[in-house]
Amino acid sequence: MSSTTPGSPASAPIPKFKAELRKAVRRNAAEHEVNFLNITAMLDIMTIILVFLLKSLGESSASVPQNDDLRLPKSIVQSQPSEEGVVVTVSKSQILVGDKKVLDLPGRESLAQTGVGAQEKRSGPNDVYIVKLGNALQAARKTDRRVREAKGLDASTSEAIIVADATSPYRLLIEVLFTLGQNEFGKYHMMVMQGKEIPR
Amino acid sequence: MEQSTSLSAAQRAKIRRLVAPREISPDEEGGELNIIPFLDIITNILIFVLATIAVTFTATINTTPPSSGGKGVRKDIQSMALNLTILIVNDGFSIKAAGGNVAPGCTGPGVGIAIPKRGGQYDYEALNACGSKLKSASPDFADENQFYVTANPGTDYQTIVSVIDALRVDMRDKSKTLFTDVAFKVPL
Repeated sequence: MSSTTPGSPASAPIPKFKAELRKAVRRNAAEHEVNFLNITAMLDIMTIILVFLLKSLGESSASVPQNDDLRLPKSIVQSQPSEEGVVVTVSKSQILVGDKKVLDLPGRESLAQTGVGAQEKRSGPNDVYIVKLGNALQAARKTDRRVREAKGLDASTSEAIIVADATSPYRLLIEVLFTLGQNEFGKYHMMVMQGKEIPR
Repeated sequence: MEQSTSLSAAQRAKIRRLVAPREISPDEEGGELNIIPFLDIITNILIFVLATIAVTFTATINTTPPSSGGKGVRKDIQSMALNLTILIVNDGFSIKAAGGNVAPGCTGPGVGIAIPKRGGQYDYEALNACGSKLKSASPDFADENQFYVTANPGTDYQTIVSVIDALRVDMRDKSKTLFTDVAFKVPL
């Protein structure tokens, strides 16, 4: 058995050849080593966090967009916001039940005197029942009753979360609350922003 | 001797051939989707979302449907009840209780605005002090936690909330609860 490569008399012996081959393999392996940080796993986690954040923010009734049309009043109350109930939003320009617009509102001067206006009432300007809001609440009440029955809660009345602008006049507020009461909404949660002192 | 230990050209070529990186065949290339650019975008969005979220802490004030003309939802209150009602008017707070209208300065029964505005602004400290004084006027009122609010039609919602806040706890003794439950009256 020859110790050199066959057919090449000047060749190195096979052990020498193997040693050189191993060295070359090691050198080549070192050259191709991944020398950057693999952040793919971290980015996977961040993607999950992003999706979770966006979903939880979107679904929470506690997340109220603050803008010129809707700015919540400030209060020193420290209780946790209730998330049970149909959300009724009263901005400067409109009333919404859930995400659905129910009514456009007139200017503040008119709101302070006659509320949403005689044409939107059941029986003239002195009435405090808003017909369009009442119709929307009836539909919401039907859905909420079924939800409450399915959850095993008291379905005799529903709850409402009132998200109203801080400048809303008392007249409008009363009209909304009264209309809610007439449609079997027996408990209201008026949403406010927490503050440290009573604003002037 | 020297010649026998060095590698021949053929041996060196063979070593080069054996250690050369394997070429990826076209069918092996692109077998896995490169999602790193997508993840880069997601990371940027995540940072942007976290930086722009306005951290606002919300709370809720619980109440019941408004009543008209003294009727409506009301808890069982004994006959010796305070029946506190705050009427928010343009000049201040008019207060009605079991003994009738509260006189200016919260000094006793009498006509007028119980808590007039001070410096053109509603005086919530004086309202709080008056509420505390009225509640402690009789031991019968100790368990009464509900009061009524009514206001001029143009009174803004913030003022209503501030009145509710002003009557929640005694400002001088925070451990003393005054009126935690509020009910609204329809203005006539």
